[in-house]
Amino acid sequence: MSQTLEQLNEVFQDVFEDDDLDVQAQTSAKDIDEWDSLMHVNLILAVESRFDVRFTSTEVAALKDVGELMSLVEKKQG
Amino acid sequence: MPTTPTTTGSRQTTGSPSAPGSPADKPLLDRLFEYVKESHPRSLRGLLEARGQDPARFARIAELYLQWLVQARGESGIEAAADAFAQFSTDVNLAQARYERDGAYANKSFAEVYEDHYSDAEAMDGYLWGIYLTNFLWAHHFQIMTFFQDRFMTRLGGDAKLVEIAPGHGGWGVWALAHMPEAALEGYDISPQSIQIANSVAAAAGVGGRATYAEKDALDLKQVEAESADGCICSFLVEHLEDPQHLYKVIAHLLKPKGMAFITGALTAAQVDHIYEYRYESELVTMCENAGLRVLETLSANPMRTLPKAKFMPRSMALLVQKRGNEIY
Repeated sequence: MSQTLEQLNEVFQDVFEDDDLDVQAQTSAKDIDEWDSLMHVNLILAVESRFDVRFTSTEVAALKDVGELMSLVEKKQG
Repeated sequence: MPTTPTTTGSRQTTGSPSAPGSPADKPLLDRLFEYVKESHPRSLRGLLEARGQDPARFARIAELYLQWLVQARGESGIEAAADAFAQFSTDVNLAQARYERDGAYANKSFAEVYEDHYSDAEAMDGYLWGIYLTNFLWAHHFQIMTFFQDRFMTRLGGDAKLVEIAPGHGGWGVWALAHMPEAALEGYDISPQSIQIANSVAAAAGVGGRATYAEKDALDLKQVEAESADGCICSFLVEHLEDPQHLYKVIAHLLKPKGMAFITGALTAAQVDHIYEYRYESELVTMCENAGLRVLETLSANPMRTLPKAKFMPRSMALLVQKRGNEIY
């Protein structure tokens, strides 16, 4: 597991209040019942805070799975 | 009295005939739900909540709106509008989350909003079609729609002259015309994209001959004929203005004595182009009363879910008002 994915997993566990959550690159909203549109922005703000990055709304809406979120974080971090 | 437009029968499309088994053969609402489930699964819960309030009525309204959408935009209009809806909903949710964090709306002036959003024609197209779908896909907006139909449309004569201020996608006024076979509507909007889309929706609904849209700033009293309308529709404009009080005065100005208006506004509900922050329902009521309008009925509706630990409850409020004949009523 990459360091970014590991850190993202901690954010997911925190936001969804589930210590057993183990997200992978292909994990999407279809795999986590609580991952609806509101939890998505809550998650995004937590990711922004954790990685000190800022996303645009278009980027946020386009995200399909954890892998895309991971790539976006790494791109923002340069 | 208003009538009920049919939602059954054969569907005309702007494209070529579809092959058997193609997506075009499915009921439009099924197509929309299947597409959202597959392409925007995070949005599905909200759709189910909206439908769950009154499935039969939801289906009637949704099918009508979707038929007009397909007529106006072609068969791919469902998927394109669903994409726009998902983007718009994300914009709203993200703006609300930042509002929760910052305690204030991001924009303070109309000039700022115009520069960042309204001047972008392509973005405006998606924005307007996204909002078109929120009319029934957001649970609390579906409640506002039923209020509009039950409490406003039914009070107007079938031959009413209507004015719609800032029609946006046109869906509100067109829906009224579809129920009132002798009514006519004039719509004023400052956005050319709005005029184009509202015209296309009116034509799709078969009421184009009774709806006229003009690029005009309704806030300029010189451009609005006094006491010319039996009914006025002004949906979700007040929160986009720096000085909404003036708008209520415009509405009173254009209504005939005892004329009715349907006004909606957003409270503690951030959006990329919301400027005026209403916090309490009484603020909208007071602005109506200050403008010479009597508040007959109101509905304040809110989404079924909010952000975790939210300080603000985003609400949409509808007001049914009547122009006062004197100081009291």
